[in-house]
Amino acid sequence: MSKNSKGIEVAEIISDKCIACQICIGECPVGAIELSDEGVAHVDPEVCVGCGKCFEVCPVEAVLFEKKKRKKISKSQRGAHALKGVSYEGVAVFIEVANGSAAPVSFELIGKAKELALKRKCRVIGFVLGNNVEKIADDAVFYGCDDVHMVSHPEMGTYLSRPYGKILANLCKEVCPEIFLIGATHLGRDLAGVVATRLGAGLTADCTGLDIEEETGLLLMTRPTFGGNIMATIFCEHRRPQMSTVRPRVMKLPAKDLFRKGNIFRHEFTPIEDPLAQVVGFISDVKTSGEKDITEYPALVTAGKGACDISAFPMLQELAELLGGTLACTRPVVESGLMPYERQVGQTGKTVAPKLYVAVGVSGAIQHFVAIQGAEKIVAINSDENAPIFQVADVGIVGDYQKIIPALIKQLKEKM
Amino acid sequence: MQEKYDVAIVGAGPAGISAACVLADNGINAVVFERGEFPGAKNISGGVLYGHDLARIIPDFSQKNCPIERNIVESRIWYLSRDGGYSVSYRDKAFESQRRYNVFTVGRAKFDRWFADQASQKGALVVCGTVVTDLLRDENGRVTGVRTDRPDGDLNAKVVLLADGINSPLAAKTGFRQEPSPSHVALAVKEVIDLPEEVIDQRFNISSGNGVTIEILGSITSGMNGVAVIYTNRKSLSLCIGANLADFATKKIKPYEMLEIFKTHPMAAPLIKGGKPAEYMAHWLAEAGFENIPKLYGNGYLIAGDSGMLFNTLHREGSNMAMVSGAFAAQTIIDAIRKNDFSRSSLKNYESRLQNSFIFDDLKKYRRFNPFLAHHPEIFTSLPEAMGFAAREMLTVDGTPKKKKQKKIWKNLRKNHSLSALLRLMWDGYRSV
Amino acid sequence: MHIICCLKQVPDTAQVKIDPETNTLVRAGIESILNPFDLVAIEQAVRIKENHGGTITVITMGPPQASSILRQAISLGVDDVVLLSDRAFAGADTLATSYTLAMAIIKLGNNIPVDLVLCGKQAIDGDTAQTGPGIATRLKYTQLTYVSSIQWIDPENRKIQVERKVDGGVETVLGDLPALLTVELELAKPRRASLPSLIASLKAPVPIWDAKAIEAVETLVGIKGSPTWVRKISSPAPRQGGPKFRAGTDPDKAVAQCLEVLFSDSTFFSNFKLTGGRNSDVEKF
Repeated sequence: MSKNSKGIEVAEIISDKCIACQICIGECPVGAIELSDEGVAHVDPEVCVGCGKCFEVCPVEAVLFEKKKRKKISKSQRGAHALKGVSYEGVAVFIEVANGSAAPVSFELIGKAKELALKRKCRVIGFVLGNNVEKIADDAVFYGCDDVHMVSHPEMGTYLSRPYGKILANLCKEVCPEIFLIGATHLGRDLAGVVATRLGAGLTADCTGLDIEEETGLLLMTRPTFGGNIMATIFCEHRRPQMSTVRPRVMKLPAKDLFRKGNIFRHEFTPIEDPLAQVVGFISDVKTSGEKDITEYPALVTAGKGACDISAFPMLQELAELLGGTLACTRPVVESGLMPYERQVGQTGKTVAPKLYVAVGVSGAIQHFVAIQGAEKIVAINSDENAPIFQVADVGIVGDYQKIIPALIKQLKEKM
Repeated sequence: MQEKYDVAIVGAGPAGISAACVLADNGINAVVFERGEFPGAKNISGGVLYGHDLARIIPDFSQKNCPIERNIVESRIWYLSRDGGYSVSYRDKAFESQRRYNVFTVGRAKFDRWFADQASQKGALVVCGTVVTDLLRDENGRVTGVRTDRPDGDLNAKVVLLADGINSPLAAKTGFRQEPSPSHVALAVKEVIDLPEEVIDQRFNISSGNGVTIEILGSITSGMNGVAVIYTNRKSLSLCIGANLADFATKKIKPYEMLEIFKTHPMAAPLIKGGKPAEYMAHWLAEAGFENIPKLYGNGYLIAGDSGMLFNTLHREGSNMAMVSGAFAAQTIIDAIRKNDFSRSSLKNYESRLQNSFIFDDLKKYRRFNPFLAHHPEIFTSLPEAMGFAAREMLTVDGTPKKKKQKKIWKNLRKNHSLSALLRLMWDGYRSV
Repeated sequence: MHIICCLKQVPDTAQVKIDPETNTLVRAGIESILNPFDLVAIEQAVRIKENHGGTITVITMGPPQASSILRQAISLGVDDVVLLSDRAFAGADTLATSYTLAMAIIKLGNNIPVDLVLCGKQAIDGDTAQTGPGIATRLKYTQLTYVSSIQWIDPENRKIQVERKVDGGVETVLGDLPALLTVELELAKPRRASLPSLIASLKAPVPIWDAKAIEAVETLVGIKGSPTWVRKISSPAPRQGGPKFRAGTDPDKAVAQCLEVLFSDSTFFSNFKLTGGRNSDVEKF
């Protein structure tokens, strides 16, 4: 039996008895056990809380642990909150760094984390990984983090699943946040699955709503499922952290306060011996087509199935330009090959939150609506007056878009 | 590469699957082609089946989780005018025995799938999502297999059974059957209305699991030659109303408008009150009757079910006739395989089987029924109103002597119908059933 | 090459609804289909096999009914299928699912070492995109998500190079085999099964492995191994619809009414500027 630096008596695994069944890994409430590179379980003594669960479940008696101690603790272990021994505290946010700057979704999540932290009476924690990310760590504080944990190293300059996953999982084990939020970008979704698996944590993807349940203090994660037809509220009772990814532009960006103070902790970079992959090239969307992402425009004119006609696009284009926006479309238009996937709005396309969203010939099925609900104003133009889009549009025109759009362009020009 | 099978069956409806079951029972390898993603995917039939006919194919169907909706214990016939109607009903304890399943309702999407599963378990191959686009023939024009829309999609078979329904593009394309003329086809629309099981039990005065069918004639079809039905399913009612396609064309009435009128009729409205429309669809039905049945066999092929226009206009027994004709086709094929002769003369046997069965008997018996309805449009127009007037007069208590009322009724009836026309109607009606 | 595809049977999400009165999922009559992204994974596996030879094994976790998607895979040209089916697997979230699939892949690898695992980038019912990374992490395979193109595979030197979609662009990644790829729809257009292979798939046996067969630990599979639970489901919150105007024969009037409503909100008006069509970076159609 050995003690860790916190003075907790921790479990140890006898390597040559271990059969790598991974039971202990699944049972460990704090994710202190990992399969080592030699293919046996290994207890991280600094993470272990000395609960003895692994001792109890090991089928081959490969865990060294003092029995008396275990019994005592395991009684107090019943229920959701007694599972620790070590306290999980704080709402953490992964600050994603892409091409040297932070992904906006990360700051949006800090705003949400502040709300949750207020209810849990705890701190907001930021995790920043990358190269030369000191400025971004400062920004994280300005947007609302109380503590920022940072690993900044040249080898972290490019995202790779395995090194990032391992380092972030280790940071989590060290800091022990109760809640951990990650932006549901490509990178974030790639990373979240790795971290959750390493921690044995519960992970809920693409949440559109996050709240704290008053009675239990648990995180309630609401997300669209079944193609957006259903909202499911998911919770995670027994594992920590409670992990969740959130799509960009679902949460509001908080105000930046340049005078805000916080703690920044710099963590050592430990090289990953076996990264398994390397990035050898990158082609930016912007470079290839010379256009911004549709999500960055203040206005979008979206052609739906009812306006899936290439001869109408110049007219829609003119309207979009007039509004300072660009053209977008729905899935049928992409499928017909008339616009590229990059312009698709919807559950399987992009989530957008422009100031003005003009839906032309868009029926407005729920799969579409979930991706535009962040829009400030929605204008619907559709020949079918029963189209669901009218139920969500701030204002609508029923009729033939071929006649309406020219009138709209004319009148908008008069307004200028 | 071409696969070789004994029998290729086009269509996994009741006719095709019945044939597949009988063939598989006799150890003959049959492939059934279904254009839908699963059997029943394209089927919207009203869904009344006869236990007697199904038991010929699957004797113990009621023990094999056959998806029966309700066992029919009561049949009603309505003759409706615009605002009212006559109802005749018959219920019998004999129909209540759950095991008997004399007549029962099914949801065809579920039933067809179950039925096809039975055939698969017996050893038939049911290939879904595959459209038969053409028939293969040898130099003498004999059918030798099918061509499908899949890569390497030809399949050789000793005999092909066409059972792909009323609007079979294949039958039309191959010239086995003439494109049915509008007057030989009915267009029916169907709405399924969801209601709680107990509400249906109450409204039809039936115990759980039992059901009622209602067959309806009169001016409800807006003066067109047609018929309406209401069937009870477990948790829903099927309302179906249809009329001759030629009548739709001349009267310029839209099918769904007719359905809406039907739904608000004082006889029907209370039954569906509070229900939620769950499905709406339109469907063709063969209406030809005995005179228009095409040649049902030829060198290397047979035709069964709706694609053979085997349909009893009066009793709406298409699914049942389809099953029986499918089974007969299979038996004919079994004989042909034994003789190793798939020529027209060998398959002629199919016709005699049909002729000796109730199918042709019934079709013959009712051969005058369709012309009868066609020649007496008053059945759908003025007659129900006159009869409604009669009943309303007789039942209205207002101090008028009955004799005076009878005179008034007779006068009203004669206003639109000459005496000779009425006599002719009665005589034709008697002869047609 | 030994390629494994992980499949999921999903309800056709376009048909799923919620009953507003009982607040329960209406799943009656909804067809189960093969997750469309997984169909692309199968197609890609078959193409790799056509180029490099080898064998394709397809696995799915689910009830016995899920064997239909395995048959579909057979009709498209895969060699072997395994259905992971056990009551103990029920109720699995992505953590338990990735464990179960990883254990099955380990077992499959005992016979022929695994070179590639292909998964759809996400399932259309849950859209989580977590199972693939979970499997890769557990197996310590190279993780390549959102793959839109495979540039080359070098089985001798155990390397693969792919293009994967990342935020704002496409990244080229060189990775070691074995690798796990999650695939985008545009990676490969699925073929239509030929008639002979479709017929063969109907006759093919579908072996079933239970928890014991893959030596899975009871507490790590199914509901026991799933930290996340669904507490409730509901319909998406409605957004209030505003007025609608009929264009009819006078679109000008309707447009005027519409703009009046839109710009009556003074805060919106002050925040929103018409550019008059001067932004040049919009692609011309």
